Amino acid sequence: MKSFETYHPIVLFVYFVSVIGITMFFMHPIYVSLSFLAAVLMNSILFGAHFWKRSWVYVLLFLGMAIINPLISHNGEMVLFYVNHNAVTVEAIAYGMAIALMLLAVLLWFKVYNDTMTSDKFIYLFGRIVPVFALVISITLRLVPLFKRQIKQITQAQKTIGMDYAVGNIWHRIKSIVHIFSILLTWALENTIETADAMKARGYGLPKRTTFSLFRFELRDTIVLSLIGILTIGTVVGSFIGNTTFYFYPTFSPIEFNWYNVLFYIIYTMLLLLPVVIELKERWQWRSLQSKI
Amino acid sequence: MAILAVENLSFTYPDEEECALQAIDFSVEAGEFITIMGQSGCGKSTLLRHLKRELAPHGTKTGNITYQQTNLADLEARTAASEIGFVMQNPENQIITDKVWHELAFGLENLGVDTLTIRRRVAEMASFFGIQKWFRQDTATLSGGQKQLVNLAAVMVMQPKILLLDEPTSQLDPIAAMEFITTLKKLNQELGLTVILIEHRLEDVLPLADRVIVMDKGTIQFDGEPTALLPTLSQLNLLEALPSSMRIFYNLNGTGQPPLTVKEGRTWLSKQAINQTMLPIQEDIKRQPVLEVKGVYFRYDKHADDVLRGLDLTIGEGELFTLLGGNGTGKTTALKVLAGLEKAYRGDVKVFGKKINKYGHNELYREVLGVLPQDPKVLFLEKTVRLDLETMCTSLQLPTDRLQEVVSLLDIAYLLERHPYDLSGGEQQKAALAKLLLLQPKIILLDEPTKGLDVRAKQQLAQILRSLQQQDVTLVIVTHDIEFSAKYSDRCALFFDGIVVSEGMPRTFYSGNNFYTTAAHRISRNQLVNAITPEDVVTLCKS
Amino acid sequence: MQELKTNPLRNIVASIIVFVIIPIVLYIGIAFLGDRKFYFISVTIALLACVPFFISLEQKRTQTREILLIAVMSALSVAGRLLFYLVAAFKPVAAITIISGIYLGAEAGFLTGALSALVSNIYFGQGPWTPFQMFMWGIIGFIAGLLAKTGIMEKKTALILYGVFAGILFSFGMDVWGVMSLTGIFTWEAYTAALVTAIPFTITYAVSNVIFLLLLAKPIGEKLERIKKKYGLME
Repeated sequence: MKSFETYHPIVLFVYFVSVIGITMFFMHPIYVSLSFLAAVLMNSILFGAHFWKRSWVYVLLFLGMAIINPLISHNGEMVLFYVNHNAVTVEAIAYGMAIALMLLAVLLWFKVYNDTMTSDKFIYLFGRIVPVFALVISITLRLVPLFKRQIKQITQAQKTIGMDYAVGNIWHRIKSIVHIFSILLTWALENTIETADAMKARGYGLPKRTTFSLFRFELRDTIVLSLIGILTIGTVVGSFIGNTTFYFYPTFSPIEFNWYNVLFYIIYTMLLLLPVVIELKERWQWRSLQSKI
Repeated sequence: MAILAVENLSFTYPDEEECALQAIDFSVEAGEFITIMGQSGCGKSTLLRHLKRELAPHGTKTGNITYQQTNLADLEARTAASEIGFVMQNPENQIITDKVWHELAFGLENLGVDTLTIRRRVAEMASFFGIQKWFRQDTATLSGGQKQLVNLAAVMVMQPKILLLDEPTSQLDPIAAMEFITTLKKLNQELGLTVILIEHRLEDVLPLADRVIVMDKGTIQFDGEPTALLPTLSQLNLLEALPSSMRIFYNLNGTGQPPLTVKEGRTWLSKQAINQTMLPIQEDIKRQPVLEVKGVYFRYDKHADDVLRGLDLTIGEGELFTLLGGNGTGKTTALKVLAGLEKAYRGDVKVFGKKINKYGHNELYREVLGVLPQDPKVLFLEKTVRLDLETMCTSLQLPTDRLQEVVSLLDIAYLLERHPYDLSGGEQQKAALAKLLLLQPKIILLDEPTKGLDVRAKQQLAQILRSLQQQDVTLVIVTHDIEFSAKYSDRCALFFDGIVVSEGMPRTFYSGNNFYTTAAHRISRNQLVNAITPEDVVTLCKS
Repeated sequence: MQELKTNPLRNIVASIIVFVIIPIVLYIGIAFLGDRKFYFISVTIALLACVPFFISLEQKRTQTREILLIAVMSALSVAGRLLFYLVAAFKPVAAITIISGIYLGAEAGFLTGALSALVSNIYFGQGPWTPFQMFMWGIIGFIAGLLAKTGIMEKKTALILYGVFAGILFSFGMDVWGVMSLTGIFTWEAYTAALVTAIPFTITYAVSNVIFLLLLAKPIGEKLERIKKKYGLME
């Protein structure tokens, strides 16, 4: 998703909120399936073979989650058999599968999200609404790798004075870990004083602070953001008309394929495939550029 | 007209009787480059912090500081923050955010500058400092030298008129320090920036300074041109801090303008009478090998490049061995492999004839081998030095009389009741060394022990090392500090590209090198064969 | 210790959230979302609950050192979570959050917890669980802070009990999310089943909390006190 990633964080964020929101809250089988398939497509584009190699995890997750519902829920009309006088119904199994598929879709979309919304974009978004919180996230993100490195130094130094946390009995290990933590904490807190000084020295705390970012909102961002908006509104409108409504209990409501149902399915599909379309368009442009050279 | 003036400034810290600063008077002209020096605890940092309003320490203060005819206290907050810049010692602690670009923008954000202006100023600064290549990187991935440059740039975007720096290069390796100083020179000479710099590494700085201020016990002892420094410094016993050429000049009772740089030193020396050209070379003592490294290969993970590529090294009992080399060559890694903290994937490390991995996990570090890490703070656990040492004794069931022995050996009784973080760099190192010595190691590996130490602390360290040697302790030091190595080591080696490329006794080693050698040798090379310290030069020249 | 200051803007926003926004969320959820209402409502409320704390942080802008301390404590728990994740029982997050709450005040406790969840998920991956984790860890720190104001947390027994309580609270809270994710709706049968299967985890949480609290609370407290004293922190 090289080209989709480069859009303005607001565009990306609105896209993910829209797609993940719709996926989470509309339990219509067609909608769930579309979102799941699109998520699989996105993941295989992003992670390639690596994703497929690990796909058995998702199959297991799916089976695990799908089994839980029929064991708990005994609603539905089409009874298959009884376990301890409790009915196991086709509806409950279908519902379990639908919800498992939905959860997988959400998980897979989040994987795309995690890959696309890097921390700087994330901090930028927070910075628009809660700038101090965003700054605290940024400071924390600097400290984490620093602390990791320092923990390694401390661990090695402690090892040479007989406090190796990887050997000895459990009490010795716990004590060694606590020592490492304690040393790290003193170091971190004492350094904080200097960092606070450095912040003040550079004028932190003056009134009317601004928030800078490297992101620029360009025309292409406006275009894609409007597209996302139109497609999302389209899908929500479809929902109000009842297009996303589907009941599993007491038994399945019918799935319809009238022209307007299909229209809303297409609108949703367009929303889901937007990043892929952008990617393909860009690749095509590169190719035509290169052939001209 | 003076840009900054300090009039009769005195200052006392709360709960302390002695003045930290006493009747300080001086003024700074726009565009001047001033270096402040003095030994640790002389009040130079306290003085510098008073010049930056936001960092002024709490306590009782009398006297006046004015910036462009305005009392510093009455200065508008935005002016105070932006026009007086401050860079501190530790490169790490001054970085605030996680991205380089954000770090550069941070000060301007605080001033409330709009996005477009920030973009332009940040771009200007990044280009001036050559930061554009790592502009979008995480700050955590930078080296110490890069971090300090980012810190400087992050102050410079606020367009200060005065730049205050408190030992900015003390934590950097010599190359990075040189680069930093060169950048300062450029800022001073090309942009007319006023610079006030505290520094104890004077070799590079003194030639740049228009004026030097020497402080002692909270007072100014000297304020004038660098060439007039000698009498004051000899009085304060601080000559060791000076560049080699000045020390040679002084000890040979030179007259006229003292030479500041190697080039000037060479010219001056060529006019002096020479008594002898060569010092006698001592025989290498045959020592019992205690640490043997044979064909060691090491890499951090399977897919990384080798850091050690067949390292061979033998270290004899009771010797002081220094391993030298540039930054990032893997010296510290080599030390870790010698210490058994990292495992070689090929080759052997033998300690007292026994393979290092044959030692049980606590056997090696008890009474055999100790490691003094680069940052001694990673060893401190408790809130006083005494508690720290006592806890170590009890948790490892060591005899209590050892504590007394170690304390008197290192002469640290006066530190025992203090918090380890309230100690100076040199004192921290002694406290950490005390902790190691409780285990009575026969071999001690030291990683950059002279980093950030001033002259006095270095001399004390050398004394301690000498007394350890007398107890037959073997010392292996990994360092950048050529001068220290030349003066104190028994044998030294140059580490490069994963192996030792040359080794020998300091006199032969340094007089054989052309570039990687001491200032004294570079000054005297044309006339003297094997002088490697200023003392050597003086001995050969004096009749 | 840091007093919990009354903060006008925060109180206004908190009241608006409780009396206006939450009812609207409930209404929307129940009226339009059918089966998915539980999920929608809980996610939204978990997020909304964090808002007053974010606002109070925005107003603390000038208290540089307090901001830094929250960042340090969060980074400490994240680094701990990253480093000791192989030693399964050792997740210091809750313990550090609790200690933050005790020594830096209830609000700082909440923020440390919420920030730890958010930032550690930057490394482990954000997911639909993020808001719940933020809220659960946040509230654990918040309650610790409130209790500390009464002085009770200086007793070892109180610390132990609270460590156990925090373990159980976290487990119970996250199971609400788990049940609603897995079955789509909230039923007590499913919830009880989830709690029973989670017993080993709950015990693990509780035990590691207690160990960490007992071993870390005092040293961290002393260190924070020293910093406060030496540098006039948070005056």
